[in-house]
Amino acid sequence: MRLRWGMILLVFVGLPALLFGLSAGFYALAALAEGLFTGGAGVVNVFTLLLVMVMVFSALLTLAERKWSAAMQDRIGPNRANLGPLRLGGLFHFVADALKMLFKEDFTPAGADKWLFRLAPALAFIPVFCLFAVVPVAPPVELFGETVSLQIANPDFGVLYVFAFASLAVFGTALAGWASNNKLALLGGVRATSQMISYEVALGLSLVGAIAAFSALTPAGGSSLRLEQMVESQSTWLWGGGGGFDFGVPAWGILLQPLGFVLFFAAAFAETKRAPFDMPEGESEIVGYFVEYSGMRFGLFMISEFVEIVVLSGVIASVFFGGYHLPFGEAWLQGHLGDFWFAALQGSVFWLKVIVLAWLQLAIRWTFPRFRYDQVQKLGWRILLPAGLFNVFATAALVLLDPSLRLLALFGLAQIALLVYLVGSGGKPAPAAPDERPVAVSDHDGVSA
Amino acid sequence: MPDDTKPRQPPEPQPRSVPPRPRVKLTIDDREVEVDAGTNLLEAARAIGVQIPHYCYHPRLSITASCRMCLVEASNSPKPVPACQMPATECLVVQTRSALVKEAQRATLEFLLLNHPVDCAVCDQAGECKLQDYYQEHDAQPSRLAGPKIQKEKRRVLGPLVTLDQERCILCTRCVRFMCEVAGEPQLGVFGRGSHEAIDTFPDKPLDSNYAGNTVDLCPVGALTNSDFRFTARAFFLTATPSVCTGCARGCSVWLDHFNGETYRYRPRENVAVNGPWMCDVGRLSYKPLVHDRALEVKIGRAGEGRTAEGREAARFAIEKLKPLAGSERLAFVASPTASVEDLLATFRLASEGLKLKRVFVSGRAADKGDRLLLREDRNPNRLGLDWVAQAFGLKVEPFERLVEEIDAERVKGVLAVGEDVPTDPKLVASLLLNLDPVIVLATNLGPVAGMGHVLLPSCPCSEDDGTFVNFEGHAQRFVAAYRTRGQSRPHWTWAATLLEELGVEVGWRSARDVFAELAPRVAQLAGFDWASAPGYLTHPRGLRTLPAAADARHGIHRERS
Amino acid sequence: MPYKVSNEKLTLREQAYLPEMIRGLGVTARHFLRNLFTRRDPAPEILDREGPCQITTVQYPEEKVEYPPGYRGLHRLVPREDGSPRCVACYMCATVCPAQCIYIEAGEYPADDPSAPNRVIERYPTKFVIDELRCIVCGFCVEACPKDAIRMDTGLHAVSSEERRAFMLEREALLRGPAVEHPSDPWRKREDSSAPEHGEKEAHRRISPRKNGG
Ligand code: SF4
Ligand code: SF4
Ligand code: FES
Repeated sequence: MRLRWGMILLVFVGLPALLFGLSAGFYALAALAEGLFTGGAGVVNVFTLLLVMVMVFSALLTLAERKWSAAMQDRIGPNRANLGPLRLGGLFHFVADALKMLFKEDFTPAGADKWLFRLAPALAFIPVFCLFAVVPVAPPVELFGETVSLQIANPDFGVLYVFAFASLAVFGTALAGWASNNKLALLGGVRATSQMISYEVALGLSLVGAIAAFSALTPAGGSSLRLEQMVESQSTWLWGGGGGFDFGVPAWGILLQPLGFVLFFAAAFAETKRAPFDMPEGESEIVGYFVEYSGMRFGLFMISEFVEIVVLSGVIASVFFGGYHLPFGEAWLQGHLGDFWFAALQGSVFWLKVIVLAWLQLAIRWTFPRFRYDQVQKLGWRILLPAGLFNVFATAALVLLDPSLRLLALFGLAQIALLVYLVGSGGKPAPAAPDERPVAVSDHDGVSA
Repeated sequence: MPDDTKPRQPPEPQPRSVPPRPRVKLTIDDREVEVDAGTNLLEAARAIGVQIPHYCYHPRLSITASCRMCLVEASNSPKPVPACQMPATECLVVQTRSALVKEAQRATLEFLLLNHPVDCAVCDQAGECKLQDYYQEHDAQPSRLAGPKIQKEKRRVLGPLVTLDQERCILCTRCVRFMCEVAGEPQLGVFGRGSHEAIDTFPDKPLDSNYAGNTVDLCPVGALTNSDFRFTARAFFLTATPSVCTGCARGCSVWLDHFNGETYRYRPRENVAVNGPWMCDVGRLSYKPLVHDRALEVKIGRAGEGRTAEGREAARFAIEKLKPLAGSERLAFVASPTASVEDLLATFRLASEGLKLKRVFVSGRAADKGDRLLLREDRNPNRLGLDWVAQAFGLKVEPFERLVEEIDAERVKGVLAVGEDVPTDPKLVASLLLNLDPVIVLATNLGPVAGMGHVLLPSCPCSEDDGTFVNFEGHAQRFVAAYRTRGQSRPHWTWAATLLEELGVEVGWRSARDVFAELAPRVAQLAGFDWASAPGYLTHPRGLRTLPAAADARHGIHRERS
Repeated sequence: MPYKVSNEKLTLREQAYLPEMIRGLGVTARHFLRNLFTRRDPAPEILDREGPCQITTVQYPEEKVEYPPGYRGLHRLVPREDGSPRCVACYMCATVCPAQCIYIEAGEYPADDPSAPNRVIERYPTKFVIDELRCIVCGFCVEACPKDAIRMDTGLHAVSSEERRAFMLEREALLRGPAVEHPSDPWRKREDSSAPEHGEKEAHRRISPRKNGG
């Protein structure tokens, strides 16, 4: 097998090392700023986390979407943009894209409502961008005499903040659709709004279980709505733990709330308006709410989609995948690395989780066809909502029964086992009779008969 | 059609007149036909539309029956007989389609093709070749020759106009017979024996007869080729348009073969009254001015200092210059008998009605040696027509020498010339014209005389417009436009109309036919003519025929007209 | 690839959707990982790709898929061994061409041309122009040519250019590629266009058994 060692090194060594270095650097910057004036860390975090990490991340995701989808579809993807001899497999395509967007004509249709037309992209972008403020990237640590963490704000109402701002984004979409003075755009906007309404409920409900579960792990006085607190809760052990290497079953959201995870993921995905929930866009039928937009205004819609991916990955990582925590060996590592380097390591762990989750979202987008509109509504109201309610009740009951959450974890594990069984039991379809098999056609995926 | 414009006159007597012969009745392919006794079977069959393939037979030549392609079954012979040689007799029963005849034709053709090089790709005749036609019709099988073919000379230059490929020759001897019997110059012969027999000239005696070109037309295969036409175009691309040779006062009827707005060759068109089926080599090459050195741009100012202009502007300029001299003896009107009757009529009307002139000086080409057959000393196709038209307008016809004299005597100040041909050295004439002002020239071709014009109005020759020539015997013959006018060139009558308009005379001519319609009332000799009774191709619809070449080249123009 | 569409009723497991979704994701993930971490095989036979990397893209200007043998590429005028065109300017191609994009002018080699084929076949194209913009790549010209003188076996696309003129391929541009000669070519049988010496009459000789024949 001819492996691409460069790619393997890049993914498994280069990327973690880069993230590790960045996290350490961000910590240092935040600490220095905090030393200058109180609250300096927050300001620096806005720059480092939002502007550097999230923006660059999103920008790269635009390229990743194309390259990764290419890999999934046995293609190469864009690889021609270059800086002279420097090609880097097409890395510069996102620069080229950005330049193109910036220099394209910024067109406003004649019948459009000028102000709302211009406001809409900002309204779509800003709320999503703000969402990341409450996501804890790395734990607080003492550095240069200051206690700093890689989190912009750490309010008590963290999860509520996420809900609130996530729903705000739809204003941009709806306004864009309306202000464009285009019936297709309007259809897109209306679809976005109705979709948002359908999934908002499921979105809220799906996290109630998690909040209830983590509340059992929250020390008195803490707020289980606070995201950092949730992450901390997930560092406790359900079984095992302690000892030299610190090995056991951590209280991660995915173990306690697999159903909640699926519901939240589905609902949040629907909110990002990406395939298979890209009803408002639906380029094959109505082109979408941004049909009249061009240049960077369109770019803002597009980039907000990718920011949403990053933010969603951050939230999911925090709530269901232990945030910046490793599932094992933390105490051992902390002992060997010291507090600061360990915190930096945790920061890179968080980003790696974000990357994997972002990849998952892209993979979903490139695997499933778009739902029909009635299917979307049906899924929201008839499946997600009842399942969410069931999840809330079951979780509440199990948390009440066993505050150590082991019962809940067992229940969650049972769900996972069932899912694994169901996945595994879907074998390849029986091969067709030999004479019916097409000759000289290799069938790699077992999709055909 | 002897005399195109006088179709109601009784037909001219046949040149080779024969005393009236008794009629006989015979049966050809189960159909009865009555012909003169002694008519050969081939012609008898043709009379009822039965085509018998043949190579060596030609109605104007003696009969040799050497090719054997025309074999038919006749009731008076146990074996197939050559139809070209067999006279029709009473009660004869002839089969031209029987199995025996078919086999005879196939076998004959196979033998004729035995040593044929089959280089149709190179051969000029491809597309009008009887071997090709008959092969498709009667043989259509691959060669069964087992050994190498006989090789003969492929590029024998027989004379200035004829090149021979001996390999393609089927020894029908039409060319030899033509040179003996019609041209009267036996320059060709058959040499060698058996398979090595070949047509050739006698040692050191080239085929330089003025009628050598006809052998090319006669050759049913591609053996004799026209050195001038050789390789320039494919026969199947050419369109044939009925026209009249402008080489001499005989005005032989010709087919003008053209493609893509360019003339490629003249071929004789049978006209018993004028030229029979032949034409001379001088005339054959007289198509060249239609193609080369054409005046295609309207010019104001003399050559070297002139500029191109719009036709209307040039006409206005010309009239401005001519007007002061109108009606005076100091303006000389020169017309060339190479222009058609229509063109002369229009320009004479300009001269007499527009410019009030009384005389016309006749230019035109210089006389040259003629011969006893067709070529006339007078090399202008329309001298008689010019005289007729001048008479109609009451213009006095003066010879060109008179004009030279008057210019020398400085009695002439300006010249309006129709046609650029002059009977003396054109350079000399140009130097005479140098001191005159104005010189207005309507010219088809560039040259020293055309270059002297203060205004040069390019006009088109017989290939680009309809018209009529009157030959020296008084036969008026019509030619029709083959293709569109080239560049800025327009027919003379168009220019005359434009100039007349500038003078304030509305003529209302839309086509050459409108001009011709003025002929009958004005020209006494043409009084009886009317279009309704004219032969078919004279009344062809206006506009150009855009049929593919082969489509209309097949009927009528085929070399084999007999 | 002939997929069979089945309209069977979905099982309960399939209706649950999630397991099948995850299996679907598995497919994409498998492709992704294979293609990301293994090296692409640049061999152009995209249908039977064997290694773990499934990428079928051909990086066009650098890599090219080989055309099938019958591919009709840019025309060429086939040269003879001595470099002169085999074409005899017979106009067959120009006649058959439905796009009327072939323009030919014929000329005549002198009788004493130094090259033997030219002495034997005196006709040749002085001008041979193909308007590749008008050409519809039907290949009729190749079929029509009686001399195997025009071929479309260059395996090249029409060139790209910003000028229309550049698509008028002249004789010089067309005359290229390997020379072609056939045993039946006339210049293999004689020196020039003059009649050969008949030492003994081969017309009589050729009646004898085949071995004497050519
Ligand atoms: S390929 Fe067809 S269209 Fe092109 S030149 Fe040949 S005959 Fe004409
Ligand atoms: S068909 Fe062949 S030989 Fe004839 S002109 Fe075309 S390329 Fe030349
Ligand atoms: S035509 Fe009768 S034998 Fe030639």
